[in-house]
Amino acid sequence: MLKFWRNPEFVRHARAELRPARAVMVGAIVVLLCAMIALACWSDRQTILANAEYSAQHYDGEWTAYAAGSRAEDGSRTWLLLCKWLFGLQGGLLTLWSLFACAQSVTGERDRKTWDFQRTTSLRPTEILIGKLLGEPVVVYFAVLCALPITLMAGLAGGLSTLTLLSAYISILAGALFLGLCGLWLSTLLESRSRGVGLITALGVYGFTAGTFGFATSWFPGLAAFSPLTGLHAVLDLSFNERKNVTPVLFGHSVPWLLVSLLLYLSFGAWIVLMLVRNLKRDYEEIRPLSRWQAVGCAAFLNFVFYALLQVPADRSTHSGLDSRIIGTFMVAINAVILFAIGLASLTPHERLRVWWRKRAEGATGLFSEDGLPWPWLALSAVVAYALLVWGLLAWRLSLDFHTRTFGTAAVQLLVVLVFITRDVLFIQWCTLTRMRQPVVKGFFLLALYYAAAGVVTAIAGISGEAATVSALGILTPIGVFNPQIEWLHFPASVYEGLALQAGLIAVIVVGISNRLGRVGIVAPSGD
Amino acid sequence: MIELTGLRKEYDNLVAIEDLTLSIPQGEIFGLIGPNGAGKTTTIRMACGLLTPTMGKAVVDGVDVAREPEKAQRSIGYLADFFAVYEDLKVWEYLDYFAHAYKVEESQIDARVNGIIAQVSLEVKRDALIRGLSRGMKQRLGIGRAIIHQPKVLLLDEPASGLDPKARLDLRNLLRWLQSQGTTILISSHILTELERFCTSIGIMEKGRTVRSGRIEEVTAAEQLKRDMRIAWVGDSTSVIQTRLTAHPHVASAQLADGSGTFQFGGTDDEVAALLADLVGAGVRVKAFGEVKQTVEDLYMKLSKHEVM
Repeated sequence: MLKFWRNPEFVRHARAELRPARAVMVGAIVVLLCAMIALACWSDRQTILANAEYSAQHYDGEWTAYAAGSRAEDGSRTWLLLCKWLFGLQGGLLTLWSLFACAQSVTGERDRKTWDFQRTTSLRPTEILIGKLLGEPVVVYFAVLCALPITLMAGLAGGLSTLTLLSAYISILAGALFLGLCGLWLSTLLESRSRGVGLITALGVYGFTAGTFGFATSWFPGLAAFSPLTGLHAVLDLSFNERKNVTPVLFGHSVPWLLVSLLLYLSFGAWIVLMLVRNLKRDYEEIRPLSRWQAVGCAAFLNFVFYALLQVPADRSTHSGLDSRIIGTFMVAINAVILFAIGLASLTPHERLRVWWRKRAEGATGLFSEDGLPWPWLALSAVVAYALLVWGLLAWRLSLDFHTRTFGTAAVQLLVVLVFITRDVLFIQWCTLTRMRQPVVKGFFLLALYYAAAGVVTAIAGISGEAATVSALGILTPIGVFNPQIEWLHFPASVYEGLALQAGLIAVIVVGISNRLGRVGIVAPSGD
Repeated sequence: MIELTGLRKEYDNLVAIEDLTLSIPQGEIFGLIGPNGAGKTTTIRMACGLLTPTMGKAVVDGVDVAREPEKAQRSIGYLADFFAVYEDLKVWEYLDYFAHAYKVEESQIDARVNGIIAQVSLEVKRDALIRGLSRGMKQRLGIGRAIIHQPKVLLLDEPASGLDPKARLDLRNLLRWLQSQGTTILISSHILTELERFCTSIGIMEKGRTVRSGRIEEVTAAEQLKRDMRIAWVGDSTSVIQTRLTAHPHVASAQLADGSGTFQFGGTDDEVAALLADLVGAGVRVKAFGEVKQTVEDLYMKLSKHEVM
């Protein structure tokens, strides 16, 4: 592995974007901004001080002591305020820029047609990854470097310890690297001339990760550590509003925010690195995010994360109605999303699926092949998810209102979800065998259209009563199973009818896929 | 040096390349000929690891390209029919980047960069930003990039497209020089006259298959049942020549005009010599007599069915 500062891709970005004139300009702007922020902080403190002194002159008592204290701490408070502002700005700028710069990286190369030349070099995918991850946002890293001495000086003068300052920088850096990886993966998935789509999606990714802040008061407070600024907030003891006393838990033990942030970034980042390393040098048409076993492993990992971060009140008498059925139903719902994502990641390219089909006809390969249809692996992922659900509920049984029947209920719920997800994933797989452009995106939209239509049908059915609504929901969607009040296997009959109907639909789609694959390939120009 | 074995590439319902097998020994300049859509680009992209074959394998310098792409790519220089460069770099920085990316030994990089800059005649632009270069200069820089690591194999996909006559001449000279250094070159083109001047072997592709391949003279000989002959004479001997040619069992479609003509001859070299002696013996004052060399273009027109042109 090349050292990153000697990585050709990093050096290329550094040379192109940090030419002496530009570097001096960036440095000057940073110093100027720092000076302006310092002035603003000083002005703010002076206003507070003036108000305190005014109050002391007019009201005496506590105000006199407050004004005296403020005057005595004025210097350090001003520095602390400046330090917090600088950290906040650096964190926001670095994470945002890192995500957006990386999100345009590979797409930009495809647009400029330089990507093929880079792919034919001897650079390994890891080297390209590191070069781009650190090289694309190199200007902002440089700006942060320029602001570093001022921030450290302000922090130390403001009374922060060296460890706190170091932790804050680690938090910023970890967030920026993680979001950079997200951006890089996003740009790998986008065709050329899709930079606009990439930027919008990147904005969505940033919004989502920033929005995880809201999880701080949920059953999974640790998920809030995904937000790039959560760790920074915690380290610098910034106002957490009503969440100030919230701490994340890991396997039931309170841990620092920064630790959870680092763990999440590291573990999720590792999966993204794996996907990038597998695919970075592949042709666009040949991208396959994960191998089959990796996909199953990813499903297990995602389930595991939820159980690890679950916060259940330690004292059973204090929690309000948190029982195993609710947790079970919630985890099945989470697995609907996980299985769909795993299904999308397991779609087989047309070309490889055709090869698998021919080999299968010759008896040379089986259902669980790397190039086969994704459904056996979805089923395996669901089995793993169920095993983890059993483990998770048993692990938490002393803290929950535990019902052994939850396992049976969850099994049926997961089965229904699996059947619907399998149908949807196979439908998208069928779309990839048609001549439509961007079949995965179109298949996804067609499914969204289906569920919207199912919603309309349910609403219309609702006119004739609640039973009809339940029937429509049960037959057309998996939503019918998400009722934690259901005991054992006593689901509405429509759930089982829906299950049978979807199984039939799956058979139809598989026949459709078989027909497509059975067609003889036409020997024709590739259009080179 | 380049071994393509049973290569097949499918795109959706199309089979772009079907059972392509080629073996190109070291030092050859192999011209891949075919109309647009014949599968030339796909073949080259598979040979340099940009595309994974559906079936079969591509081996370059003894390394399976699909299995060990980075190792194989150390031996491969690739040039596409477009010249995309990093516009925000300087000329030397661009070549330095690729020298490092191809893992050229650090101690050799400066000399290699300067050598290539001289070879593509960009010395005066060494420290200039690429965005300020003319199109021709950028193309030359692209060629420099492809050979910065002194590859054993050069894969060129329509390299002459968009080049001006001077640049084409330079490219041709460069390729000849590289061949003299032992570089194996696989070059695709549909400009047949370009290939004829420096290719030692050819492969004719149509609809994803090779129709013929081998050394030019072997392919020509294999296809040439009747050779084209040309004759020129002094004086009024047209009728004598016409009579002799018509009577000869190996001569076909003789077309004679005043003082010159062509005909097809199906006999051996001895029979050609005998025919010439016969004409001279009959009093024909022959001033020129010889075989019209078949061009690659002629050969291609003969072999190709032009199904995708």
